[in-house]
Amino acid sequence: MNTVQKGHINVRDMGVIFGANDNEVIAVEDVSLNVQPGEFVSLIGPSGCGKSTILSIVAGFMKPTSGEAQLDGDPITKPGSDRGVVFQQYSLFPWLSVRKNVEFGLKMAGVPQGKRNITARELLDLAGLLSFENHYPDQLSGGMKQRIGIVRALATSPQVLLMDEPFGALDTQTRVVMQEILTNIWQQFRISVLFITHDIEESIFLSDRVYVMTARPGRIKAEIKVPLPRPRTAEMTDTPEFITLVQELKRLIREESLAAMGPELKTRGLTGFGMNVGPKGVGEIF
Amino acid sequence: MFNRARAKTANISLVDSDGDYAKAANSVETVRVEPSVAQAPAVPEPVVPDIEIGTLKMKPLLERVTREQVITALLACISIGALFLFWYLGTKYRVELYIRFKNVPTPYEVFRQAIEVGSSTKFLVNVLYSVRRILFGFAIAIAIGVPLGLIIGKYRRVSDLFMPAIEILRPIPAIAWVPMSIMLWPNNEAAIVFITFIGAFFPILLNTVHGVHSMDGVLIRAGRCLGAGEVRLFWNVILPGSLPHIFTGLAVGMGVAWVSLIAAEMISGQFGVGYFTWEAYSLVNYPAIVLGMITIGVLGLICSGIIRMCGIFMMPWLAYAPGSKK
Repeated sequence: MNTVQKGHINVRDMGVIFGANDNEVIAVEDVSLNVQPGEFVSLIGPSGCGKSTILSIVAGFMKPTSGEAQLDGDPITKPGSDRGVVFQQYSLFPWLSVRKNVEFGLKMAGVPQGKRNITARELLDLAGLLSFENHYPDQLSGGMKQRIGIVRALATSPQVLLMDEPFGALDTQTRVVMQEILTNIWQQFRISVLFITHDIEESIFLSDRVYVMTARPGRIKAEIKVPLPRPRTAEMTDTPEFITLVQELKRLIREESLAAMGPELKTRGLTGFGMNVGPKGVGEIF
Repeated sequence: MFNRARAKTANISLVDSDGDYAKAANSVETVRVEPSVAQAPAVPEPVVPDIEIGTLKMKPLLERVTREQVITALLACISIGALFLFWYLGTKYRVELYIRFKNVPTPYEVFRQAIEVGSSTKFLVNVLYSVRRILFGFAIAIAIGVPLGLIIGKYRRVSDLFMPAIEILRPIPAIAWVPMSIMLWPNNEAAIVFITFIGAFFPILLNTVHGVHSMDGVLIRAGRCLGAGEVRLFWNVILPGSLPHIFTGLAVGMGVAWVSLIAAEMISGQFGVGYFTWEAYSLVNYPAIVLGMITIGVLGLICSGIIRMCGIFMMPWLAYAPGSKK
C-alpha cells in the first residue's frame, strides 16, 4: 500500500521466569531479536520453547522478567491497536456477524459506521469472504475463520502484525492454501510481521528472516535469511534453494526437539525406540 | 431472532422437500393429470393446481407444518391431557388411596369457578398485582444482579470483597426473609417486591459471574488488542460473551421469583394470586384454590416463555453455536 517506515520491533535481552522460588521455570533467556519495518520474520522452535511467550510480551499481554520489548523505540506495556494479533485459537466474537467482527477495531477507534462498513467489506473481499459478511463465525470453517481473523487484525491499519501459530489448528491442505493467501495479503500491505510457528516449510515460505529457538530455556539459536524472491508462489517450494533452506533448518531444529523431549534423547537420538537413527537423524522427525 | 427464524424456515422447507415431498406428490397426483402440462416443472415444490378448492387450498398452510412439529404438539397435548385425566378420574371416583380426592374439586367445578370469577374484576386485579410485583422485583434484580455479576466475575478483588457476604445471604430462602422484610420496608407492597427481588437476584448474579468465568480468555485478549478500553470491553465483549449464561440465570431467577412471590403473598399479602389462593382456602372455596394454582402455573409459563423469546431475539448467533444444532 504505502511505504511503511514504522513498525520496528525490538526485543532486547529478554528473560521470562514463570513461578517463584522452588517452582521457578526459566521460559525465555536472554533473547534479543528485531523486526525491521515491512519485514516478515518468523520465530520457530520446538513446543514449549517460549516462542508464544515472546509474542505475548510484544502484544502487551504480559511483562518480561528482565529486558524489554519496544515498538518504534517506545517500550510496550499494554495491548493496543497499533499491533494486530492473530491467535492460534479461533478468536472471532461469536455474537457478531463476520462483517461486524472485522469492523470491531474500527468501532473501538470511533470510526463512523459508514466508513467502517466500507473498510470491512474491502477487507472481506480481499479475504474472498465478502459473500459471508452476514454469517456468524460458527457457520464458517476453520480456514475461513482464520482468514477473517487476519483481516480483522489488519482493519485498524496496525504497524505490525503478530501471528501466534495462526494455522496450527488447520489441516495440512488448508494450511498450504492459507500460507499462499497470507503471503498475498502481506504483499499488498507490506507491514512488519512477527510470525510464530513450528512448521519449517511454513516459516521459510513466508519469511524474510527466520529465528530458530532452542528448547527450554528458550534462546535464539540461529538466525537465517531467506533470500527467495518476492512475491512468493507455491512453485517455489520445489526449488533447490527452498529445499536447501528446509534441510538446514531441519538440522538445527531436530537437535532442539530431541532436547525438548528429554535430556537423554539429545545425546542418544531415537536409537532406544527400536529405530536405528543417530542424533543427527534422517531429518524426518519434523 | 430474525436470522434464526429465517434459518428455521429454510430448514423447514428443506425437510419438506424430502420429507413431505412424497406426501405432496401423492395427494397432488390424482389432480395433476391435465393442468400441469403447461406448468413447467421448474418449481419442484408444491405444484398446486388452482382447479381444486377445499383441501388443496389448505395445502400451503399445512405445508409449513413439519411432521416433527406435529409430533411435538401431539406429545404436548398428551402430556397436559394425562394431567387432566388423572385429575378427572381421581375426582370422579373420589379415590381414597392414601391421597384423598374427597374434597378435591372436579375440573368442571373449577371451570365454573373460572367463569364466575372471570366476570368480576376482583380476580383480574389480583393477577395484575402479582404481575406488577414480579415485574418490579425482577427488573431490580436484573439491574443490580447483571452489572454486579459482570464486575465480580471480571475482577478478583471485587469478588473477594462481595462473595463472602453473598455466600452467607444466598442460602437464606426468600420466604425466610418475609418477617424481616415486613419490618424493613415501610409498606406491604415494597416488602413483597423485595421478597420477589431476593428470589430472582441470586440466580441472576451467580449465573452472570459464571458466565464471565466461562468466557474464552482469548476473546478478551482479542478485544483488548483491537483497542477496547475497560468500559468498552465490558459492553462489547464481556456482556455479550456472558449473555447465554445470564439468560440461564434469568430463567432460573424467574422461577424462584414466582415461588417467592406466591409465598410472600400467602403470608403477608393483600391482593395477588397467592393471596387469592390462600383466601380461598380460608373461605373453604375449594374450586378457587385450584383455579389459583392453575393461574400461577400459566403465569409462570408465560413469564419463562417471554424470557426464552427475548433470549432467542437477543442471541441469534446461538442457533449456530456448536452443540445447539440438533
